[in-house]
Amino acid sequence: MPRKSILAICRHAPYGNALAREGLEAILACAAMDQVPAVLLINDGVFLLLEQDAQQIGEKNLRRNLAALPMFGVETLHLCERSLRERGIDPAQLSLPGTELKLLQNPGAFIAGFDQVLSF
Amino acid sequence: MENLVIEGREIPLDKEGFLRNLGDWSPQVAEALAAQENIVLTEDHWDVIRLLQDFYREFELSPAMRPLVKYIDQHLGPEKGRSIFLMQLFPPSPAKIGSKIAGLPKPTNCL
Amino acid sequence: MTLHIVNQSPYAGSALSDCLNALHPGDAVVLIEDGVYAVNDPRLSASADNSFCLGADAIARGVTVPESIETIDEARWVALCAEHNPIVSWFR
Repeated sequence: MPRKSILAICRHAPYGNALAREGLEAILACAAMDQVPAVLLINDGVFLLLEQDAQQIGEKNLRRNLAALPMFGVETLHLCERSLRERGIDPAQLSLPGTELKLLQNPGAFIAGFDQVLSF
Repeated sequence: MENLVIEGREIPLDKEGFLRNLGDWSPQVAEALAAQENIVLTEDHWDVIRLLQDFYREFELSPAMRPLVKYIDQHLGPEKGRSIFLMQLFPPSPAKIGSKIAGLPKPTNCL
Repeated sequence: MTLHIVNQSPYAGSALSDCLNALHPGDAVVLIEDGVYAVNDPRLSASADNSFCLGADAIARGVTVPESIETIDEARWVALCAEHNPIVSWFR
């Protein structure tokens, strides 16, 4: 049986609740089990990419965790362009070392191409 | 697991032998943790321990096996960035045993 | 085709609008639990061609489902899940 393709959708901002962290942990767990998922940051999930200093509130820096994804085999991050623009984030200003950032104009078509979708 | 005693100071460990307080780590603590695993630390061990600590500082998480191999490959070259090299240094589970001796938390995705 | 499931009131959070922003033509949207409060949301009728609402959840909450949205029982919901792939949850 061919391996199923997995997409993880991260649509919540870090720190306000546990979802963003749980999503990243699930992605790392999948990857460690050789089921490397595709990752889509959409809606408030795009806030994960902002430079941040979570020590100020005693939390783990989730952007740093995100930066570990290429080490786990996730080398591309898909970003919803509309979500970025709605939040006043200029895609040209974004970067994450070792990661290719791919802007999506049509996230719906992208999502439809997967067998399994995990949403966080 | 019994706590370590280093130079009269008691260092608390969790039930799997990981440091309870990451700030307790020192090279002597590493030697003692390695001894519990029947490992005598060599230069090769120390290279990997330093990279494990760099990995943790850079990404705020302990690596599983694959990312560890990749990171070692990037920093020490393909000769050492191989699971067999790491297996020889930190048997039987290099990500877990290496993280323990380097004073990192247990890798989250490590079985 | 993707099946989107929304379980949050559109007045409580962004689940409905997040879902609608990720909709692809032909996708289906199922409203369950507090998601049924979205039945009269104009954004839903404007963006989704196939909308469904779990009848028991609507009746339980005293929500009247307009004709543009198909009211379904649990068996139909299961059938929809089997007919579509992937399934995306828009919860919280």
